[in-house]
Amino acid sequence: MTGLQAISLTLGVSSDWREEHGSWWLAAPGLDARALAQVMLTQQARFVTITAVEQHEGFRMDYHWDLDGTLLTFILATESNRIASIADLCLAADWAEREIHDYFAITFAGRTSEPLMLRADDKPGINLRPGRPPQ
Amino acid sequence: MSYRLPIGPYHPALEEPYKLDLTCEGETVRAVELHVGFNFRAIEYLAERRNYIQVIALVERICGICSNVHTLSFCQAVEQLTGIEPPERALYLRVILAELERLHSHVLWAGIAAKLMGFKTMFMGCFAIRESVMDVLETISGNRVNYAMNCIGGVNHDLADPAQVLSAVSEIERAITHTIVPIFTQDRTVQSRCAGVGVLTREQAIAYGVVGPTARASGLPQDTRRAAPYAAYDRLQFNVPVESAGDVRARLVVRALEILESCRILRQALKQLPSGPLRGPAFVEVPAGTAISRIEGPRGEVFYSVTSDGSDVPYRVRVRTPTFANMPSVRPMLLNADLADAPLIQASIDPCYSCTDR
Repeated sequence: MTGLQAISLTLGVSSDWREEHGSWWLAAPGLDARALAQVMLTQQARFVTITAVEQHEGFRMDYHWDLDGTLLTFILATESNRIASIADLCLAADWAEREIHDYFAITFAGRTSEPLMLRADDKPGINLRPGRPPQ
Repeated sequence: MSYRLPIGPYHPALEEPYKLDLTCEGETVRAVELHVGFNFRAIEYLAERRNYIQVIALVERICGICSNVHTLSFCQAVEQLTGIEPPERALYLRVILAELERLHSHVLWAGIAAKLMGFKTMFMGCFAIRESVMDVLETISGNRVNYAMNCIGGVNHDLADPAQVLSAVSEIERAITHTIVPIFTQDRTVQSRCAGVGVLTREQAIAYGVVGPTARASGLPQDTRRAAPYAAYDRLQFNVPVESAGDVRARLVVRALEILESCRILRQALKQLPSGPLRGPAFVEVPAGTAISRIEGPRGEVFYSVTSDGSDVPYRVRVRTPTFANMPSVRPMLLNADLADAPLIQASIDPCYSCTDR
């Protein structure tokens, strides 16, 4: 069993890893972001960032981790514009979550606060999405 | 009794807008809040409303110092999506530009660090050397800041006379070897000013996910050029300088040694520069999908994720810059530090707010 298979097994994800240009991808839309963070931190992986990609319904949330120089991307999804915060587990995710909240008004559930990175008095979600009213 | 000291958002140490809110007791920093976003330009939003060619010019303007890393990252991602492989000569020219840009960035930073230490003669010396580096960049690309070097599938500019550039690089290396390197690595005044100041431990560096020289100065040997080679880096020999102290001095030393490694890479790339075309076939369409490109910029790993829906406009462009990853680590560096060290400490990560805010 390879290290990647061990990770997906630990996470309980049945889909297969896909390799593209040196990066590895795992589709796991129902996966809990916190469970993922705990497993990756146990593996001593480095958090890289999160990419939010708007879909027809909700957002695809790509969680990028670096494991010994290899980039691993886990494809998660929001539910009702929410996803669990990992900032308390992984300090490196704090600014990424704040920025995505600013950009898309996605709620990272479980944060003790959601300080805005841009203009503290403004409402989130105003910055990037057309047709997405301030919330 | 504690007091709050707001620094910024205008020019707290560098000529860029950001804000530090410090809570101090006497001369000691007890709490730190960081505020960014003053330079927000919605680059990602704009990139999703322009075609792929226009986006190259757009992302080049994210940063006035490391503009090349942004076009290189974006072009590499699109090359993955289209399947276009740049020719060998283009890959070497990309390395040459990337290392000249690293040289220019590190020397500029060395000058600013010297200025913050009160060493203004050194500042002037560094900026004189930087001018020489920029002259070389201008010789190759015709530009001093936005080089317009990269295109999808290769490069736009050729290098007519590698020997001339090699000679210039040797001159620059000689100047650096006699100034920046000995002063930053051996000078007692610099050591006493920087040793033990603004420490980021290895554990903290891991927790904050820092990258580039900031990570390497805290004992983490990570370098995208080595871990996930791109362009022609897998054909070139170089060391990855690592220090373990995690203080300002370690960050000085790592960058000083990296300057020498950049010169070493440049010499090899210029001597090995293969002949041949500058770019591969033109792309007709960008198939749907997502591609990720990472490169080692002067400040650390630059991350681009580009998603295509098959049209001529990117559906999603995500940019994670090195300072975005490094800046939160300034908080532990500043905690319990002397207030007078705050400018030098936050400058020691070589922050770029133009990149951070995008």
